[in-house]
Amino acid sequence: MNAAPSSSASETARAVAVECRNCGASMELAASARTAVCPYCALPSVIERPATRDRPRPAYALGFVLSREVARDRVQQWVRSLGFFKPTRLRRASVDDLRAVYLPAYLYSAVARTRFAASIGENYTETETYTVTNDKGETETRTREVTRTEYRPLEGDHATFVADVLVTASKAIDNDELEAAEPFDLRLLRRYEPGLVAGWTAEDPSLTQQQCMALAREEATTKVGASLHAFMPGDSHTGLVHQTALDRESLDLVLVPVWVLALRYAPNAPPLRLLVNGQTGKVAGRAPTDWVRVAIAVIVVLAIVAGIVALATSLSPGSTP
Amino acid sequence: MSACTRCHFALEAEDLRCALCGLGVPHDDGAATATVRAEILRCTECGAAMAYSAQAGAPACAFCGAVTKLEALADPVDQARWKGPFAVDAATARAALTAWLGSRGFFRPSDLASASTVENLKPVWWPAWLFDARAEVHWTADSNAGAGRSAWAPHAGRCVLDFRRVGVSASRGLSDDECRWLLPGYDLATAVAMEQPGAAEPPGAIVERFDTQRSAARRRIAETIEATAAANVAERFVPGGRSRNVKVSVLVDGLSTERCALPAYVLAYRYRNGVYRVVVHGGDAQRVTGDAPLSWVKIAAVVLGAIALLAVVVAVVAASGGR
Repeated sequence: MNAAPSSSASETARAVAVECRNCGASMELAASARTAVCPYCALPSVIERPATRDRPRPAYALGFVLSREVARDRVQQWVRSLGFFKPTRLRRASVDDLRAVYLPAYLYSAVARTRFAASIGENYTETETYTVTNDKGETETRTREVTRTEYRPLEGDHATFVADVLVTASKAIDNDELEAAEPFDLRLLRRYEPGLVAGWTAEDPSLTQQQCMALAREEATTKVGASLHAFMPGDSHTGLVHQTALDRESLDLVLVPVWVLALRYAPNAPPLRLLVNGQTGKVAGRAPTDWVRVAIAVIVVLAIVAGIVALATSLSPGSTP
Repeated sequence: MSACTRCHFALEAEDLRCALCGLGVPHDDGAATATVRAEILRCTECGAAMAYSAQAGAPACAFCGAVTKLEALADPVDQARWKGPFAVDAATARAALTAWLGSRGFFRPSDLASASTVENLKPVWWPAWLFDARAEVHWTADSNAGAGRSAWAPHAGRCVLDFRRVGVSASRGLSDDECRWLLPGYDLATAVAMEQPGAAEPPGAIVERFDTQRSAARRRIAETIEATAAANVAERFVPGGRSRNVKVSVLVDGLSTERCALPAYVLAYRYRNGVYRVVVHGGDAQRVTGDAPLSWVKIAAVVLGAIALLAVVVAVVAASGGR
């Protein structure tokens, strides 16, 4: 593999001007673009910039596994599987305009130390005495076994490594969207090299490292909080509160493969954005609800109920013919 | 071999990140640039520009079809680096089997040792991981200590555990129970490199290969650490005489693992119409584990004797109550 610098490249605050080495055409690239394809001679190139705190050189990348055709099939399957309450036009929308993007994300890991307090429920059984009135109208005393719970306070600590927390570094795709398209198979992680992204659209981070760190800490703390429920002893627990301190943190920039599609299904409705995991084919997107269909369904159900009630009333013995 | 700077896990040369704590392994490929530059990937075969191909999983040339190899994915199936020496020869292993058959207890056939014949004896090196680690363990559990109306009360605590030469079987041929029995008997101070010929290797000894990828092996070791920690906590740290729901969170420090091939003899013996398997430790002939048939005649006799005794006791009690 040969890598040669372009004959001229200059950076402005917003964009980078790159001259194609093949045909000499000058291209202006967005500040967040990591790759370019010359519109005149289709020469693919990878832009290398001086690393900064908020825009470091990627440490790792996950290569695309899914081709455009497979990604389109997955989207079509997803669209076909939408329920009755989703817009019909969504199912008929064209899914041709899929775009492949190497999305910048940060891989976060840390040591999480958590102090927790909870009320732990321990079950026990008791024999309870109760009275009933029998068929003859007499009061009878009986006993039964009942399970009760004794709650005891518990405080303690939990410590674990939190690894594989992936958060977006792009303003274009928010963290919830990326999370919906996860998981990525991080065993296939490779050290970043231009050959992994050449010819594909790849973005540099557009969020600051501080913003990404905040997202990662939030996700890590949520992850620890979720695992704490399984850490509690007893038969049940309530009032679990915890405070997590994250220590020895690391943040590595990784490029992850996603297919992005803005699905236009109605002239007045905003397009529905779908993300397809470029490794696994998992489709993520929140299809809107067709409220007209919901209203019709409610009206039909109400009409049926009203009909049944009316029928039952008319057939009851006390009703006047 | 370097170590992770966060958890001191011994890293392999190909590791990109620590398998235990996820910390990235620092790497400088000299690609840092002081100016903005555009890199073009050229095919070494025809000179055309290349792009990454999802089908090939690597940069491919659209003109001549040449594919550039990227750094190989580092999840190999690692093989044993060390082997334990055979201190037991085949004759001693046979004798150990006979002695073991003769000491199986009352409910085994009386002629088990004398009527059994060895059908097959195979010296093998079976694969195992051995690890050393220190772990900070936080735990919660229920125990009877301090119990009130319920029989259980919740507890939490912290301890530090040292694991030294803890074995995890990687064998498909031996069962987990057999491996658990054999593991404590090995003296790894005498282990030698796999390539080095041992002093008294029995002829025809076969090496069972590891067939688990590195990532799965590490996962299994981590699970073993957690399970061993939970067992330790239940035994040594939870107050009271009884415990349940023992849960642990483990921060491992300085985990190092060795891949070893451990010596044993696998014997098949025939008794009457059945064939049974026994494993004899390759370093200590006193350690034998395996299957042995039961004597159903003896079991039936004991059951009938117990019923008869019970009937006599009942009859005596009934007779004395009638007076």
